[in-house]
Amino acid sequence: MGSKWALIRPFFLILLLHSVAIYLFTRGFLLTRTELSAYSRCSDLSHSPCSALHNSSSHDDRRCWTKPAVDRLVIIILDALRFDFLAPSSFFAEAKPWMDKLRVLQKLASGEGSSARIFKAIADPPTTSMQRLKGLTTGGLPTFIDVGNSFGAPAIVEDNLICQVDNGVMEHLLPSLYKDDWDVLIAHFLGVDHAGHIFGVDSTPMIQKLEQYNSILEKVVDVLKSQSGPGGPHENTFLVVMGDHGQTLNGDHGGGTPEEVETSLFAMSLRSPPASISSILELNSCKLDLDGEKICIGTIQQLDFAATVAALLGIPTPFGSIGHVNPELYALSASTWDGQKMGTNNCKSWSNLEAWMQNYANTLCINCWQVKRYIDLYSATSVIGLPSEDLHHVAELYAQAQTSSSNTKKSTCLSENGISNETQDSSASVLQLQIDAYSNFLENVAKLARSAWTEFDLILMAIGICFMLVSLSIHLFAIGRVNIVCGSFYAVSGICAYPFSLFTAFLLVVIRAASFLSNSYILMEGRVANFLLATTGILNLRYSVRNGKFSKDEFVFLLINIIIRFGIGFGMSKQTVGSTSLNAQYLNILGIYEGHPLWMMLLEILPVIMLSLLAIFLYKCTLGISCWGYLKYLLIMGSSFSYMLISVHWVSESKLIAMSTVIQDIGRNLAPRIVFAVGLGLLVSSLLSRILGLKDRDLNPIASLTISTVSMLSSWSPTILILLGRQGPFVGLICIIGAWCIVRAEKEQQIKSKSGTLGGFAISPVHVTQWNLLAVCLFFYTGHWCTFDGLRYSAAFIGFDHFNIIRQGILLAIDTFGVSHIVPILSLPFLVMLHPQNSEENKAKGIIFVKLTQVFLIYGLITSVTTMFAIICVTIHRRHLMVWGLFAPKYVFEAMGLLLTDVVICLASLYYY
Amino acid sequence: MGKIQISASKAFALHFLCAAALAAGYCLARDVYALNLISDPAQTLRLLLVFEGPVVIGIYSWIRRDPDSCSYLKAVGRGLLGLPIGASINAFGAIVLGAPIGIKYLTKTIYWSFLMSLFTFVPASCVFGKSRMDWQRILAHSKPMEGVDYMISLPAHGAVIGAWLGAWPMPLDWERPWQEWPICVTYGSVAGYLVGMLASSVFILILRRQDPVKVD
Repeated sequence: MGSKWALIRPFFLILLLHSVAIYLFTRGFLLTRTELSAYSRCSDLSHSPCSALHNSSSHDDRRCWTKPAVDRLVIIILDALRFDFLAPSSFFAEAKPWMDKLRVLQKLASGEGSSARIFKAIADPPTTSMQRLKGLTTGGLPTFIDVGNSFGAPAIVEDNLICQVDNGVMEHLLPSLYKDDWDVLIAHFLGVDHAGHIFGVDSTPMIQKLEQYNSILEKVVDVLKSQSGPGGPHENTFLVVMGDHGQTLNGDHGGGTPEEVETSLFAMSLRSPPASISSILELNSCKLDLDGEKICIGTIQQLDFAATVAALLGIPTPFGSIGHVNPELYALSASTWDGQKMGTNNCKSWSNLEAWMQNYANTLCINCWQVKRYIDLYSATSVIGLPSEDLHHVAELYAQAQTSSSNTKKSTCLSENGISNETQDSSASVLQLQIDAYSNFLENVAKLARSAWTEFDLILMAIGICFMLVSLSIHLFAIGRVNIVCGSFYAVSGICAYPFSLFTAFLLVVIRAASFLSNSYILMEGRVANFLLATTGILNLRYSVRNGKFSKDEFVFLLINIIIRFGIGFGMSKQTVGSTSLNAQYLNILGIYEGHPLWMMLLEILPVIMLSLLAIFLYKCTLGISCWGYLKYLLIMGSSFSYMLISVHWVSESKLIAMSTVIQDIGRNLAPRIVFAVGLGLLVSSLLSRILGLKDRDLNPIASLTISTVSMLSSWSPTILILLGRQGPFVGLICIIGAWCIVRAEKEQQIKSKSGTLGGFAISPVHVTQWNLLAVCLFFYTGHWCTFDGLRYSAAFIGFDHFNIIRQGILLAIDTFGVSHIVPILSLPFLVMLHPQNSEENKAKGIIFVKLTQVFLIYGLITSVTTMFAIICVTIHRRHLMVWGLFAPKYVFEAMGLLLTDVVICLASLYYY
Repeated sequence: MGKIQISASKAFALHFLCAAALAAGYCLARDVYALNLISDPAQTLRLLLVFEGPVVIGIYSWIRRDPDSCSYLKAVGRGLLGLPIGASINAFGAIVLGAPIGIKYLTKTIYWSFLMSLFTFVPASCVFGKSRMDWQRILAHSKPMEGVDYMISLPAHGAVIGAWLGAWPMPLDWERPWQEWPICVTYGSVAGYLVGMLASSVFILILRRQDPVKVD
């Protein structure tokens, strides 16, 4: 008994270490922000402290949150617009060929009292268009895996009128400007980004592109100006020309370098604000441009864009926005100046500036309330909230700002009543104080959000990696110890050594793991695994040929490889194209058309035939083993019953046979549920029989191990088969044949190389590696891939119409990891027990378990090495363009796979030993 | 014994001939027909095949294992027979490892596998015929090797390993034309073949040094 626990204990230790490592690393790496589904509404404002102020002073029905300052908004997004594309070259040390190409905007922005301005807009990394557009429109920080229902990330592009090709944009942009059926017009030009990616920044196409944009913008400005007279459609229109992110000189973007983060924003109000605008904007850096005119450049965070635009349009700020209404951009619009005077009748004596400040303070009040509301709701609902002391600090700031606000109200009332010139200065300074208080709050929130949502916790990540390394060394140590035990068993008969085999296995694992360092290989992971699996097959073939024995197992294994390869290729094309009609395309190549009745028949019948083959195989397998007891009949009955139900389910789903709805309903929903129940029942009964019955009998350990393995697998098989759908039986057959070939090859080699002496491996590590590679291939073969849209959601709803997070989650997990983790690990004993046994070994009963431990340890080691590399890879690529699209999902899948592997190994060792 | 021993200089010269044939084929393709492997892989591979084939079969038939019982022509015939067999084995291996299948790639795959057959299978079939022991020895490296074994085994293994390594850049997203099947694999196998030939020359040289008595 003691020795049994000595064998099992390392698995639990390793599981523990892996869990800690992955927990720490995930906390440091996956900065999660839960997406809240709440929306901002006009009526929400009545809950805000600012509402009283507003409702009393406003009689305007159009008014929602703030008074609309502009009527219409034209946003032109030039993808990957570097800051120096737009800013005059005088702002830079050296004039480069690509500078000063957008002269029309520069001219508009230059000169005193201009209503146009150029800003340096600073984006938050990752600087990819998708993430940036999301950030611009929601006013949030989009760096993390947005947990929640955001798996279909492209949705946001589709919502807006954003994604269009340049020419299409040009075609539609100018005519739209004449129409009056819109309030906000967004045009998105991708040309600069494209030119940058292909030719780089310092290239003729780029300069041509910029010149082309210059002429387009000139036309747009002309149209707007020509209609901006009083009563014209563009009387109070606001034009924004902006980039979503910058780019490096090579045209790359995605990272966080200044070149990529700094983009430009040009804003122009077609109605000129009063001259005192410049007093607001004194902080700007101003220089003379090429024509010798003064031009000023402001700075804005992209985070603030959504809030500012919402304030200008007078619409509710997006619920998740943590932006700050930017004073410079807000001041550009003339209506923000005169609005307050018309609204509040009492303050006629106020200067323009003061009125504007009052208005701006009100806007900020709403802005702060909205941000506070979001932060409160977020920390109340999300799983990993924000640090509590920071929240407390922010809340304090908010309270301060609010109290100063009420003070200001009093003081402004005073100044309204007692008209004296002296109080004007003081009221201006009071307003300024209040604006500062609000800004302080908003800045702190933004800082908190940035640190919580966009900065990796490198220390936690490093600790996680260290734990992983420790677990790897413990793993190696455990293998070494088991090898010594194993070697002692073989002291007489001579242990098989595999120096070459060990080297090959090591090389294969490291190659596969190292391939995670490149995004291309992660995309092609299925192909890579298949390539390596085929390589092992060819090496085995070569091995047997050179021993003068051509066994057909190896040949069959290669054929299986070809089938897997096409399956993976098919899955991959689905991944890239993402269309369901691909099946048809594939068949067309083969000369078969989808609609062909014979083909349809075949498609329906083939899985059923395969399934019956599988059932017969299982039956034979079960019959072949003696000394079963009642479990045997239970297994045969249960699995054949569930196989029948599976075929009923498929028939009921087929379109060929018309059936009454009742039968269809039974087949569709009831049958799968019964299958799941039978599977569970079989699982429980094999566990029970293992615990109660077989322990006592003095059974040959190999026979008892065989019984438990077969019963385990046959109780899992119906569930996994029905979840996999019609490909299930075929996958099952491939699985069995592949495994059979590996086991046979292992057996051959055992017989061959009895003469070896060193190493202590009872099982060739190559074959365990092969087992692992086969499992990886099957993962991809069954149509999965390592992103969240690679999950087969439809599998979770087999037998159920309604969503239940636990039930559907379990089904989805079984579908995703069943054939690639659960089944391969549970069937690992086959590698051991079909081993040739000699008489001495039979005496030593424990040897089989020592061997099994060895196999489990090697398998676990392979998985943890690949996960280790996946972790290193995401650490290296944490600022990579595709980190959230590719590397992070890969990491999540690997980490989940590793934990599942550990858990299954632990449970299996408890069950089998 | 009936075996011909091979001197280092001779081995080197024969290898050089093989390499020269490859180079000549490549130069002809490039300069006369203005073909290159990247733009017209099929035609270039065919030209390489036309140059390399006769040279390899001729040379290895000349150093056949059993010159007394087997005429030169018979050895050539063995080589010609071995060519398609080796090609099909190579093509099968490539497909197992993931070479694309389709009408578009059919001719390229065929020419490539014939070239690979010339590197791997044909020399052995010219020299050994169907002597199973010799084939096994080549694969296993187990028994003491002779010069001819090195000449066959090392370039063949080099070509296969080179082709295997040459397949690795294919999935990368560099979008270069040479990442297409079978261009980089061909580059890899040719490079591996050349390295293997160099290695075999060196090995034969060492073998002669260690064992000068055997030189006749």
